[in-house]
Amino acid sequence: MLPFWLIFPTVAVLLAIQVYPALYTIWLSLHERQPAGWEWVGPRNFDRLFKMGLFGESVGHTALFLVGYTGLTLLLGFFIALLLNRKLKLSGLYVTLLFIPWVIADIIVGIVFRLLVVPDYGLLAGILQNPALFPPEGLSVLTASRAAAWVGDFPFPPAPAMIYLILASTWKALPFIILLLLAAMQTVSAEVIESSRIDGANSSQVVRHILVPLMLPTLVVALFSLTLSGMNGVGMVFSLTGGGPGSSTEVLSYMLYTLGWRQLEFGRAAALALLIAAINWLLILGTLRVTRLEERNV
Amino acid sequence: MPSLTSKRAQHWLLHAALATICLFALIPVATTVLISFKGERDILRTPPNFFPCDSATQPFDPSACRWSVEGYQRVLAPRPAPEGLLPIRLTGNLVSVYLPNSLLYAGATALLVMLLASMSGYAFSRYRFRGRQTLLVAILAITGIPLLTNLLALYQMGVTLRKAEIPFYDDRFFLVVVYTGFFLPLSVWIAKGFFDAIPRDLEEAALIDGCSPLGALLRVSMPLALPGLMAVFLLTFVNVWNEFIAGYLLIAKNEFKPAMFGLYEFLGQNIINLQVVSAACILIALPVVVLFLFARRSFFAAMVEGAIKG
Repeated sequence: MLPFWLIFPTVAVLLAIQVYPALYTIWLSLHERQPAGWEWVGPRNFDRLFKMGLFGESVGHTALFLVGYTGLTLLLGFFIALLLNRKLKLSGLYVTLLFIPWVIADIIVGIVFRLLVVPDYGLLAGILQNPALFPPEGLSVLTASRAAAWVGDFPFPPAPAMIYLILASTWKALPFIILLLLAAMQTVSAEVIESSRIDGANSSQVVRHILVPLMLPTLVVALFSLTLSGMNGVGMVFSLTGGGPGSSTEVLSYMLYTLGWRQLEFGRAAALALLIAAINWLLILGTLRVTRLEERNV
Repeated sequence: MPSLTSKRAQHWLLHAALATICLFALIPVATTVLISFKGERDILRTPPNFFPCDSATQPFDPSACRWSVEGYQRVLAPRPAPEGLLPIRLTGNLVSVYLPNSLLYAGATALLVMLLASMSGYAFSRYRFRGRQTLLVAILAITGIPLLTNLLALYQMGVTLRKAEIPFYDDRFFLVVVYTGFFLPLSVWIAKGFFDAIPRDLEEAALIDGCSPLGALLRVSMPLALPGLMAVFLLTFVNVWNEFIAGYLLIAKNEFKPAMFGLYEFLGQNIINLQVVSAACILIALPVVVLFLFARRSFFAAMVEGAIKG
């Protein structure tokens, strides 16, 4: 009986805080609030959600954000891990210093980056608002709208605020990715690299033909974990841009907040929540498959 | 040998590159510290100056620096308190109400998560019972439910519970349970990993020597697992301290708001007083940054363990 009582409290809390609310959200997505109570509407909430102009726009923003954020973070993370992998004397110090951004809350990171570009008074505003550097009249990150879209409604090229949001998010996520990739890099045996060197491979060949293939499972895990944090993170949007200017940084997670708590459209918000949760699940399943494959190979 | 000198040059180049990267990584932190020590006069200048150190004749004159703690004063709002233990009392809401609230939420959640995760992590690691594998997979699957999407339902639950007027119950209790439920699944896996690493022979030896199963758990396994459990505690503490959206949506009363909620409101009221906002950010981020610097090994251990699993 001991194991039962050891596990019971955990299961009880998880049922109350995770499972029940998830089921309730499914129920909510199929109902709509009427003056008399909740009315069953079937898939109408999803239908109305998909027809919202803001929804299509948010999907575009989210896709753009995720590509920029994951791409930039993985690239920089891999490069910095490569430098740290040389086992220098001060590696520990570098890792510690690089890790400080990870401990800082999303909402504070957003504020810190926002203060830098506050129109006129932010430290970077002097550079950004210089017409000589950013023609024709200087750039104000928090107020400039995006340029005309190149392809249909897809928000590309992105608004300056979106690029800035990607940079701030990357800054915060980078430490964890460096740690993850460094840990994987250190498991690649030095002998493999050494012998390929003797066979005449140069640095870029070692990275391309040995490190990347051997680290592929970890790279995929890192990609999925970044996508998850990018999908669900909302604090930085709150404090950095508030979804603006206009709707240029309105991503799906922030739209869920506006739909649910500003417009009080609980049914439609629940539909959106399920959609986000479904994407999460797919990503987690993908991660599990990759890690399973890795275990089988070892 | 030319290769030796080139190796040494490479070595220095590497150090230079890493130092530059660290510098870049810390620039946003440094600028925030810098802004927080400026006075209003130097904040409201166009174009802005990096250091408040220009004099009439020179662009940078260290003797003319006008450093100021005005931002901190406005956040802390110290008032003389003649009858208190200390001569002054900090009356700013952020430090006298919201920061202690965050400490309570983060501390209580971390304790609860550590307790529950160590219990179930131990059971999963040591016992083979029916449904074990299913439960483990279910707990892993639950990590896939994002807090964000559950908030709609949790918000409704919170409203219902508030209306029920249960004695001694308030939003603080609900928030701690929500955080516990959210950070528990991964912690169970991390704790299980730490228990797996402790050899079973030690416990079996204790059992043979006449120890009860519970005694073996408390006297042998727990002390050995303590560093790992400490890591679970610290990771949860920092995660709850830094969490924004759940605290923002689930807390209604002003006196129960966590620091991140308070800070977000503070931003809305003070966006033009950059020195005040910076000072507030630093005061709220400092506790966890210090915690991390002192216990970084613990954090790394828990994160690598957690990253492999989920």
